[in-house]
Amino acid sequence: MAKLYMSATLTRHALPQRVADFSTLAEALDYAARGHTGLNFYDGRCRLTAVVQYAALRREALAVARRLHGLGLSRGDRVALIADTEPGFMEAFYGCQYAGFIPVPLPIPSGLGGHASYVEKLGGLLKSCEPTAILAPSEWLPFVQEAAGSCNALFIGSVKEIKTQAAPPVELEPSQPDDVAYLQYTSGSTRFPRGVAVTQRAVMANLQGMLRDGLGVGPGDRCVSWLPFYHDMGLVGFVLSPMAAQMSVDYLRTQDFAMRPRQWLNLISQNRGTIAFAPPFGYDLCSRRAREGEVTRFDLSSWRVAGIGAEPIRAEVLERFAEQFAPAGFDRNAFLPSYGLAENTLGVSFARRGVGVQVDRIDRWALEHRSMAIPFNGEGSKASLFVNCGAVLPGHQLEIRDEAGHPLPERQVGRITLQGPSLMSGYFRDEESTQAHMDGDWLDTGDLGYLHNGELFITGRQKDLLIVRGRNIWPQDVEYLVESQPEVRSGDVIAFLVPAEADPRVVVLVQCRATDPEKRESLVRTLAGLINGEFGFTATVELVPPHSLPRTSSGKPSRAEARKRFLEQMQSESRLPMAFG
Amino acid sequence: MISQEKILERLFFYLNRLAPPGASIHPDIDLIQELGLDSVKVMDLVMELEDEFDLSIPLNILTDVHTPTQLAQAVFSLMEHADGVVR
Repeated sequence: MAKLYMSATLTRHALPQRVADFSTLAEALDYAARGHTGLNFYDGRCRLTAVVQYAALRREALAVARRLHGLGLSRGDRVALIADTEPGFMEAFYGCQYAGFIPVPLPIPSGLGGHASYVEKLGGLLKSCEPTAILAPSEWLPFVQEAAGSCNALFIGSVKEIKTQAAPPVELEPSQPDDVAYLQYTSGSTRFPRGVAVTQRAVMANLQGMLRDGLGVGPGDRCVSWLPFYHDMGLVGFVLSPMAAQMSVDYLRTQDFAMRPRQWLNLISQNRGTIAFAPPFGYDLCSRRAREGEVTRFDLSSWRVAGIGAEPIRAEVLERFAEQFAPAGFDRNAFLPSYGLAENTLGVSFARRGVGVQVDRIDRWALEHRSMAIPFNGEGSKASLFVNCGAVLPGHQLEIRDEAGHPLPERQVGRITLQGPSLMSGYFRDEESTQAHMDGDWLDTGDLGYLHNGELFITGRQKDLLIVRGRNIWPQDVEYLVESQPEVRSGDVIAFLVPAEADPRVVVLVQCRATDPEKRESLVRTLAGLINGEFGFTATVELVPPHSLPRTSSGKPSRAEARKRFLEQMQSESRLPMAFG
Repeated sequence: MISQEKILERLFFYLNRLAPPGASIHPDIDLIQELGLDSVKVMDLVMELEDEFDLSIPLNILTDVHTPTQLAQAVFSLMEHADGVVR
């Protein structure tokens, strides 16, 4: 293969930079294609495996668009894309933009032994978006074939295959500003997936807000990313954003980052990257893996925006990273906490640039009992720390409201609600869920937080959501899995998240009638194994007596109450969460 | 060419470092369900194998792997391909 003479795309080129002031993604790519920047794909050892300039990407995207058209797809049809980190995904995604089809990025399987659960999950997603075509890299096609089942797709194959089809001489009509640009499935549980529908108008509004106001991009910027393309931060943040501002970007596959996190830092050093984001666990992974004496081999001085998002921000993790990589030129003020969600395309607020992580220290008692965020200088164990995630993007409104929907004053904790041009048009073909989350043109994010001087502090993510290493896991999915065991009855399980030393820990309480210690021990082992197999994390499984789980007034298990009692008990026995599991 | 037995032997070496203390590791133990390796540890293990045998282990061959024997088999067949002409 002609890989020997490949070199990465440049950071700077002659084309004047335009920061996402386009009406559609197709128009944005038309402009980016006039320059010399583009996409660079690297393997786990930081070797360049593919280079695609935006000009070439546009050419290939148009080729894919014509052929999809030739297969008989109509405007508005969904095209499911198994979103591995490779050029084919890009060609297909933008191909859809040029023909008015709706691309739907979908996950790849992760880890060992995940075959069956992946196929089941994928089946649910395909059922929800009803694609007319499904494109996947050839190694994932067998899984797609299995999952497609009753799906009436006209074409299932790889991007390579589709390019061998005849290209009809059609006049393509790109997706228009009010058309849906893509569906994003990061919201919703495995069993009840919800596809966030984002219009061209919304995605362009958000891209412009993030790039111009959030990141303040300029002509010398270069992005580096290992975030998966099916995740909102990976897709909008590092596929669409760089293109919309004609920036070059260097990609590492997510699994390669997970294996060799330092390659991310290597890439930034090598290519003088300036913008890279990760959830806190990404920074944590780098800290843990850094070897003594090797830190100075990196040169992180070019890293201007070290963005943080996708999970609750723990300042101490970032502090450790900054400390450790300071000798490599890492500037702690490059840290940029942010808050976002797919329902607002991606970005909602960004902290001020150049000041790093700003922490608000508040009185825990007032927080817990009066939902007030009162500044506190006392003893550490009586304080709660929250990170400043900045002001909402210009042109958007953010209000903190109480349960009844009334706006709350500053430093009062409530639900975060949003209004503005980046909001989704709704959940795809799911009027009920859309109604449940939208109040007129306001979105109820379900997240909790407070404002101070107009800047946002997140105190809790969406009700009950289990956020583990940047992934959103619905407690219902964990509970359902456990309940599907013959020894466990429906309604006997509650899953919730508790803070722990390193990563937050998932606790699963199971009502159990068995008294034989051996049987109980074996049940705990089996359940923990099942959960790990399905979700890839180690949960703390505890058996509790029958009728001991708290219920809500409607008789459903109350996760919030169970969690509260669990934490109280933990404190009173002064057992550290680390001691479990 | 290295044998499948040798791969399994190295695999055991790494597993002993990653598994909870006192766990009894055998060729047919379920790495996730019985041994309790989480996704981070699994990636550690895959990395050690990649480095040791100088190859790249694609994710799609791991989805049907549950036990050390199966993992050794998967690595072995990858190496067979890598050594052939079909690179």
